[in-house]
Amino acid sequence: MIWLTWRQHRAQILATAVLLTALGLLLLGSAVEAKLYIAEHAPPGCPGSAPACWDLARALADRYDAVYTVFGWMPIVAPALIGAFWGAPLLGREYERGTHKLAWTQSVSVRRWLAVKLAVLGALVAAAGLTLAAMVSLWRPVFHQEDFFGNPGVFNMVGVAPAAWWLYAFMLGTAAGTLLRRTLPAMALVVAVITLTTLTLYKSSDHYAEPERIVLSDTTVLSDADSRRVSDAWVDPAGRELAAPPSGVCPHPPDVGRGDRNQRAYERCMFGKGYRFAVYFHPPSRFWRFQWTEAALLTAASVAFAGLAVRRTLRRGV
Amino acid sequence: MSVALRTTGLGVRYRRADALRDCSLAVPAGRIAALVGPNGAGKTTLLHVAVGLLTPTSGEVSVPGRVAFMAQDKPLYDTFTVAEMLAFGRRLNRVWDQEYATARLTGLGIPLDRRTARLSGGQQAQVALTVALARRPDLLVLDEPLANLDPLARHDVMRSLMVEVAEQPLTVLISSHVVADLRDTCDWLIVLGGGRVQVSGDVDDLLAEHLALTGPAELVDTPPAGTRVVEASRTGRQARLLVRGAPVLDPRWSARPVDLEELVMAYLRSPQASALPALAAVRA
Repeated sequence: MIWLTWRQHRAQILATAVLLTALGLLLLGSAVEAKLYIAEHAPPGCPGSAPACWDLARALADRYDAVYTVFGWMPIVAPALIGAFWGAPLLGREYERGTHKLAWTQSVSVRRWLAVKLAVLGALVAAAGLTLAAMVSLWRPVFHQEDFFGNPGVFNMVGVAPAAWWLYAFMLGTAAGTLLRRTLPAMALVVAVITLTTLTLYKSSDHYAEPERIVLSDTTVLSDADSRRVSDAWVDPAGRELAAPPSGVCPHPPDVGRGDRNQRAYERCMFGKGYRFAVYFHPPSRFWRFQWTEAALLTAASVAFAGLAVRRTLRRGV
Repeated sequence: MSVALRTTGLGVRYRRADALRDCSLAVPAGRIAALVGPNGAGKTTLLHVAVGLLTPTSGEVSVPGRVAFMAQDKPLYDTFTVAEMLAFGRRLNRVWDQEYATARLTGLGIPLDRRTARLSGGQQAQVALTVALARRPDLLVLDEPLANLDPLARHDVMRSLMVEVAEQPLTVLISSHVVADLRDTCDWLIVLGGGRVQVSGDVDDLLAEHLALTGPAELVDTPPAGTRVVEASRTGRQARLLVRGAPVLDPRWSARPVDLEELVMAYLRSPQASALPALAAVRA
């Protein structure tokens, strides 16, 4: 069975390995180049937060962005590809070609056939996801980028998130293949559901924990840029939180173009009149809590999809 | 005589309608049984139940020995080479005769290193048949093995199947909607019409038991004593009957033996008629 699994799915396995290797080489090259650049151009005491280091930080950020744009779409594209090319054909193609009638009438039971395929391929997919996470986690510190938590795109490429996402996509594709019994429609369904899941999880991630509240009296910006802001509100001098910004207290002309001069003037005026600004947010220290919450949700959904696929397959409707 | 396949009161219900109703039949071991019936009669459903691909809604199926199946359209993995198809069979089966499989395909001139997608239809059928035969089954079930084959390939496949049957103890159940394909090879007949078994029995016995009668038109409703009408029709002043039963002595009827195709057609045109010989049960 292991041989059959490898023989039938080696194209996907090899393609994924090649893509991951290529990405690894790209990240390695970019990290080495950045290290060399730091060694050559860094003033003494840098990298750091001193003003002397700002030029270096900017140069590093440019290098980081250049590579990040290459795989910034990864959190959506990679699960969609995994679901479409690993999951959807697993049963969809067998039904489409009629080969399920060949595979399921040998001595090996259907139960075992499916169990081996789901276990082996599921483990490979999860391992590939962990590999991606490890590579990104090793690569990013070189650039002193600290947005593992605040940036949902990066959040989904580190920790256990990619493994959970890819496993989810694989099981989703497999279930879609049993339901539709054809590969191409199953692939389309995978892409649609992955997109929907991304949006849903992004929206609901605010509720993974009770947000912390901080009241600011001179700025509306959080000091830790890697936090996830959930909501904010003005607090009047009496300490009451206002549902909507108070009108008539300070002039609030709209900004023109991309400037924010009017907004800043408005905020200065508000703080001057005793108003304060409450922000609800998740601090970056919640990184692992959020990682495990998301992984748990996705793994539960994966188990449900796998159960659906197994049930549909074992019910023996040919 | 032992039985290679027996079904009892088999029923399969799909969402809308019955695909099989109360099917009871037995195929004695060592026979080559033809399962015939029009498209949609339930042949494939019956075969799928027999090989365990489909769980029946009611009734039971029993296959005492090992069963191998070649599905309709003879599915093969089209990215596999012929040798890899054999590896598939070897790794997924407890019993597998690799030496036999290789020798058979080599004997047929089928290159083992070629991808199955690049073989001709007849060669693909032979590879699928080899994968089934190398499992050394007691019962070989073939679903429309000759469909989509040119006449030469049909003949080759049938002939090579006969060779296999002659060389090993093997019961074969072949479905087809073309009776002519099976006339010369099968010695057991099962006719399936509208999800019901209409006929099940030894071909020679069935042919001996049935007669085609021609007589005056006014006798169409009074068939000779001791016979059961399978099919009756009237053309002009003549009545034509296909009956089952004893030889006819009434001189107003002229009788002649029937051939297999006539027999099958008569039953399929008269869905109420059946020759469910207690035969099958008695002989079993």
